[in-house]
Amino acid sequence: MSLANRLALAAPQVRAVCIEANEFPRLSAQFGVRGVPHTVINRGGAFVGALPERDFVAAVLEGVGIPVDGAPGPGGPSTELGG
Amino acid sequence: MTVIPEHVRAQLKARFELRLTGPVHLTLYTRPGSSRLILPAGLGCATCEDARQMAELLRDAAPEKVTLDVVDTNRDSGRADADQVNDVPTIAVGANGESGRIRFQGLPTGTEFPALIEAVERVSRAEHSLSAVSLAELAKLKEPTEVMVFATPT
Repeated sequence: MSLANRLALAAPQVRAVCIEANEFPRLSAQFGVRGVPHTVINRGGAFVGALPERDFVAAVLEGVGIPVDGAPGPGGPSTELGG
Repeated sequence: MTVIPEHVRAQLKARFELRLTGPVHLTLYTRPGSSRLILPAGLGCATCEDARQMAELLRDAAPEKVTLDVVDTNRDSGRADADQVNDVPTIAVGANGESGRIRFQGLPTGTEFPALIEAVERVSRAEHSLSAVSLAELAKLKEPTEVMVFATPT
């Protein structure tokens, strides 16, 4: 969640929301949360696990439809984009 | 319930004294007086009182730097809507009087508490520590982008 917060600090377009999954079970179920950290971009694309900065930024951009050169992309070792 | 024990409060005060350089504004969106019972969304708020205590302790650890605005969503639902806050309790962390774009929905305990402390310190220092490459990539974002991170206390 630290990376999401740092993105929000750096980019005025970004809002980071850290959600306590157990406290909001309906919301967690809505976004298919089974493991944490579970990151959801614009309530669409999602990935599970902690990513390095470069991959996290790439996943956020891909989540809003912006292609990234050299990004691991969907199906990467710890990413699960889509849904 | 005391969310943060006295020795942690003292540690926090000492830490903030060293690390906070600029102002930080916290906004707590809450539903005061709500039952601690788990009720359907919009009725109860099991952790609102604890979240208030946590937000006040953060403010009290560095009152000269940290300000706190409490929004009662029962009385001011328009404010929550305008700030795009979806549920309570939510603590928003920002650098000025506006609702911050770093938010913690639910009581930030466990792994989330250090993240909240870090967020306060980073906002105070305007220190994102992202690489130039990351900043160049983020500059491609032209539309509002919400990054939701689900976490658990353990």
